[in-house]
Amino acid sequence: MKRWHALGLTVPLLAGLAHADYRLETLTEGLEHPWSLAFLPDGRMLVTERPGRLRLIEADGSLRDAPLAGVPEVFAEAQAGLFEVMLAPDFDDSGWLYLSYAYGDISANNTCLARTRFNGEGLSGGEVLFCASPAKRGAAHYGGRMALLPDDTLVLTLGDGFDYREQAQNAGNHLGSLVRLTLDGRVPDDNPFLGDDGARPELYSMGHRNVQGIVYDAARDELLINEHGPRGGDELNLIQPGANYGWPLTTHGVDYTGAQITPFRELPGLTPPLLHWTPSIAPSGMALYHGDAFPDWQGDLFVSALAGQQVRRLVREEGRVVEQQVLFEALDSRIRDVRVGPDGYLYLLTDHADGALVRVVPAS
Amino acid sequence: MMARGKAALLGFLLAVLVTTLSGSLIQTQFNLAALTALGAEISLATRLTTTAQDLVGFAPLYASLVAVTLTVALPLAALSRRWLPLPAGLLYASAAALGLWLAFMVVDALAPMPTLIAATRSLTGTLCMLVGAALGGVLYACCVGRRL
Repeated sequence: MKRWHALGLTVPLLAGLAHADYRLETLTEGLEHPWSLAFLPDGRMLVTERPGRLRLIEADGSLRDAPLAGVPEVFAEAQAGLFEVMLAPDFDDSGWLYLSYAYGDISANNTCLARTRFNGEGLSGGEVLFCASPAKRGAAHYGGRMALLPDDTLVLTLGDGFDYREQAQNAGNHLGSLVRLTLDGRVPDDNPFLGDDGARPELYSMGHRNVQGIVYDAARDELLINEHGPRGGDELNLIQPGANYGWPLTTHGVDYTGAQITPFRELPGLTPPLLHWTPSIAPSGMALYHGDAFPDWQGDLFVSALAGQQVRRLVREEGRVVEQQVLFEALDSRIRDVRVGPDGYLYLLTDHADGALVRVVPAS
Repeated sequence: MMARGKAALLGFLLAVLVTTLSGSLIQTQFNLAALTALGAEISLATRLTTTAQDLVGFAPLYASLVAVTLTVALPLAALSRRWLPLPAGLLYASAAALGLWLAFMVVDALAPMPTLIAATRSLTGTLCMLVGAALGGVLYACCVGRRL
C-alpha cells in the first residue's frame, strides 16, 4: 500500500477497488471542454462548455444539437470561459439558474456571476449579480465553482489571476477569495468582513490560489473546498468564515520554474489545509456522495483531477482525511468535474476538445 | 584560431553562468520582498536557505533559457559589429540583455501562465534580471579579447 502525506500525517492510499466495483458508461460525447453539470428535476442535464455554451442533455444521454440561447457574453481564452451551472434551491418554482463565467477581455477580465430563468427549453430574464474586482490581465485562475448554504446564501469561489498572487492577502479586493452572497446577489448581513472598511463585504475567506471544487456537507455542517497549488501544494481546506488560508505566504508547493514561492509551509494565524497533494494532482470538481448505488461510499468526498487523470475518494473521520483511493484512471482522461446524480451514480466530465459525460454505475 | 575558439567557448560558459546565478539570486530576493511586503518576517538564515534552494531548484531551468538566448544573441552581436561601431562590451551586454528580454516575452507568450518567472512581473524585476545578462555579455567580450 502506498502512503500519502498530509500535514505530517500519513494518509493511506488504498490500492485497487477495496470498497466498490463499478462500470464506466459513456453517456454523451462531443462536448467541447465541458466544465460543470447540473441535474434537472425531469431527469435531463445541463452542461456548460468552457467556450461559452450551455448544452441540454436528455435523460438517455443524447445531446441536443443547439446550445441554449441567452447565456451571458463570455470571455473565452485559455482557462477563461463559461464555468459552473447551478440550480436555485427553489428551481421548481422560480426556474432560476446560476452561471459563473469570465467576463472582459485579455487585458481586463475577472469572474462574474449571473442568474437567468430556464423554462425547460430556453433562457430568459438574465441578470448579472456579481463581478469580482479588480479586473485583471491574463486568462488564468478564475475559481468559478459555487455551493449553496442552508441559509439560502451561495458561496462563489475565485482565483488569484496567477500574476496577482500577493493580492490573495488583500481583503480590499476579491482576488484569491471566496465570496458569499444572497440568492439575489446582495451581501448577507452576517458576512465576516462586513463592517471592515478596508475589506470587501462579499468576502467569506481569503488567501486562496485557484479554488476549483466546493462542497457543503450538511450532515457535518462543513464547507470544504479544493484549490490548485503551484507545483505541488494542491489543497483540501475546511472553510471557516473570515479565515485566511495563507496563499502565497504559505504553501507546500513551489513555482512551475522550481523557484520557492515562500519558505513557509505554515504560519501563525493562517489556516493550514486538511490535506495537501504534493506532487500535484490538479484537483477540479468535488462531490459529496449520498446515494443508494454505492453504499460503501456514503459521506465520502470525491475529487476529480486534471493532471492526475483520476478521481480521489477521500474517507473522513472526525474531521480528518484518513484514507484516499485512486479511481477511474482507466479513463486515461483529464477529469474536470465529478457529480452525484439523483440516481446515486457518479457522473464525470472529461476535459477535452471532444469531451464526454461518463456515468459510473455498480458493476452488477 | 583554436585559441580564439576556446576563448569564445569560455566566454560563453562564463556569460551563461553569471547570467544564471545573478538571475537566480535576484528573483529570490524579489519573491521574498513580496512576502515581506505582506508582513512576513524573513530571517537572514531563511533568506540564505531560500536563495540556496532556488540555486538548486530554479537555476537549472533558467540556465537552459539563458543558454539558448545567448547562443543566438552573442553571435548576432558579433555580426552586428560590422555595422555598429560600438565598443564590444556595450554591444555584447546589450545583445545579452535584449535577447533575454525577448526570451521572457516569448516564454510568456508560449507558456500557459501569463508570466512564467514571477520576478519579471514588474519592470523593476525584469530590468534587474537583464542587468545580470548584461554583465554576462561584458564578461564574454572580455574573454574574446575585444576592446571594451
